[in-house]
Amino acid sequence: MRGNAIHPPSDEELNVYIRTRYQLLGVDISVLPESDPDAPMDQERLLENGRSILRQEVVAADFDIDPQFNLPVPHPAPFVAWTEEVEQ
Amino acid sequence: MRPPQDTVISRRWFLERMAWITTAAAGADALVPRPLFGAERTREYLREIPASNNTLQQVSELTELTISETVDFLRRGVVSPEDLVRAHVDRIDRYDQFYRAYADRPSLDALLASTRSGQDGSYQPLKGVCLAPKDNFYTTDMLTEGGSLVFEGFQPHYDATAVASMRSAGGLIIGKAQMGNLAGGRAQVYGTTIPTTRNAWTPNHVNYSPGGSSSGTGTAVAARMAVAGLGTQTGGSVVGPGNAQGLTCIKPTFGRISLHGVIPLSYTRDHVGPMARNVMDAAILLQVLAHSDPNDPRTRGLPPAPNYVESAVPTLGLNTPVRWPTRVGVLPGWTDPNDEGVARMRGEFLRELESMGNVQLVGEITLPEQWEELTSQPLGGSHGDPTAFFIESLRRDVRLFGDRLPRFLNGMLQSADTYVKVQQARMLLLHRIQTQLFNQCDVVLTEGSGAFDGTGMPVLCMPIGFDTDPSSGMSVPRGVNLAAPPFGEERLFAVAAAWQARTDYHTVRPEDPVG
Repeated sequence: MRGNAIHPPSDEELNVYIRTRYQLLGVDISVLPESDPDAPMDQERLLENGRSILRQEVVAADFDIDPQFNLPVPHPAPFVAWTEEVEQ
Repeated sequence: MRPPQDTVISRRWFLERMAWITTAAAGADALVPRPLFGAERTREYLREIPASNNTLQQVSELTELTISETVDFLRRGVVSPEDLVRAHVDRIDRYDQFYRAYADRPSLDALLASTRSGQDGSYQPLKGVCLAPKDNFYTTDMLTEGGSLVFEGFQPHYDATAVASMRSAGGLIIGKAQMGNLAGGRAQVYGTTIPTTRNAWTPNHVNYSPGGSSSGTGTAVAARMAVAGLGTQTGGSVVGPGNAQGLTCIKPTFGRISLHGVIPLSYTRDHVGPMARNVMDAAILLQVLAHSDPNDPRTRGLPPAPNYVESAVPTLGLNTPVRWPTRVGVLPGWTDPNDEGVARMRGEFLRELESMGNVQLVGEITLPEQWEELTSQPLGGSHGDPTAFFIESLRRDVRLFGDRLPRFLNGMLQSADTYVKVQQARMLLLHRIQTQLFNQCDVVLTEGSGAFDGTGMPVLCMPIGFDTDPSSGMSVPRGVNLAAPPFGEERLFAVAAAWQARTDYHTVRPEDPVG
């Protein structure tokens, strides 16, 4: 059960997190215009997308999957050949 | 005495890697071991390419020839590879100012010199066939820019394995086709959102999309500026432009075609896909390209490529039967799209399918459990994949990525535990598709290809009719996507062969540009 201290982060909190993460990895997004719908990309759209990705983390975390029967497999289709589930 | 298995496996791997490193040390041009286009059995299959019913007099232009017709006409000696090259170069010189399908092209002299390869008598089934790979395939003689400022001016020192395979089979790379920025969207002026490549069916109307991201290949093939080509698909990027331009394309099972020397978008979802004007040509290209590649372990350990060429030959019999008894299902909602014209066309398509021999139409199938969660974001996606490959470019200047920047930064925000769960969900989806979807049918008609891209299952697209684009008033093709279980390419070819034996949508060519 989640404690009372857990609350959904605000947009502003997520923006700080996103900017910090990019900065940590040496990626400078300040070269983009802050908000310019005519530009190929601006900081506003980039942060909006980033917040969406972060909030989807919750969806993934909440997805209940049996870890004993469902191994992570990056290439599922050829895996059926490697595991001899199709005739060679 | 037989050695223990661990030494056999590790020794084979070691010897292959050492061969690669030794070759590389000898010079950059020889980085890749010579990838032939397949085993002897593959060559036998390719010798079965059927003869054409046409004569040279019946063909309006040499650029109208398909791969199988080119093979046949060369076999009969009625055309030469040089004739074919000149015809395609002439057409590109005349019309690509409108279509804008090509990003880079070799000189005519270089192409003519290429036609003289294989004079040692080696078998070359693609001899004289002019091909247009997307601009994310490495080529030694042309730039590879990936439709993006990130790779502007990039000159690879080796050919992608798929390109090398086509060349070793006699194919000629007539040009590198424009593409959406780093394999997303339609082709644009690098670093902007200004569209470049036109749809071959609306060359004077820029707003009608050619489909993305293999836009240039789609247009080059549909506009008869290449006989066929190669696209790549991570999320619909082969079948999208294929359907938009009336082509027959195959996105094969993951691992069937090497991705070595292709600018990656996702290591786990990218596929190379032949784009052609009919099912036989798509099958021929896949036959050439479907082989194991020491430089791409994802191609190893798969069942040998079967006889795709044969599966694309229509069988004789009452009601143009499909080669094998086939149950055809449709995903819920497929028969009821928003567009009335498309809905009518799909209804007619289903009625025609049902009248074909060996086809059992099973109608709407019941979706596997948790379909929605497993096929939508985040579990059905690939957020984390592109970032690692591009980290240095992201540090250099994020503006190089244009409108595609979020896709490449997302990996920095996706946690490792989510990434693992995405892969667990992907495997679960594959099992459910196999046991809960393909237990109801052998082939399924689907609007999008996302579920089948993520799990690596084969998808074929083909044209089923024409509709009017309201904005340009032009007649434009409409197509369908058919998906099958892993290694189900023959089944898809067989259905498409029967369909194309009784219809001629795939033979209709667009009008030339005006101006």
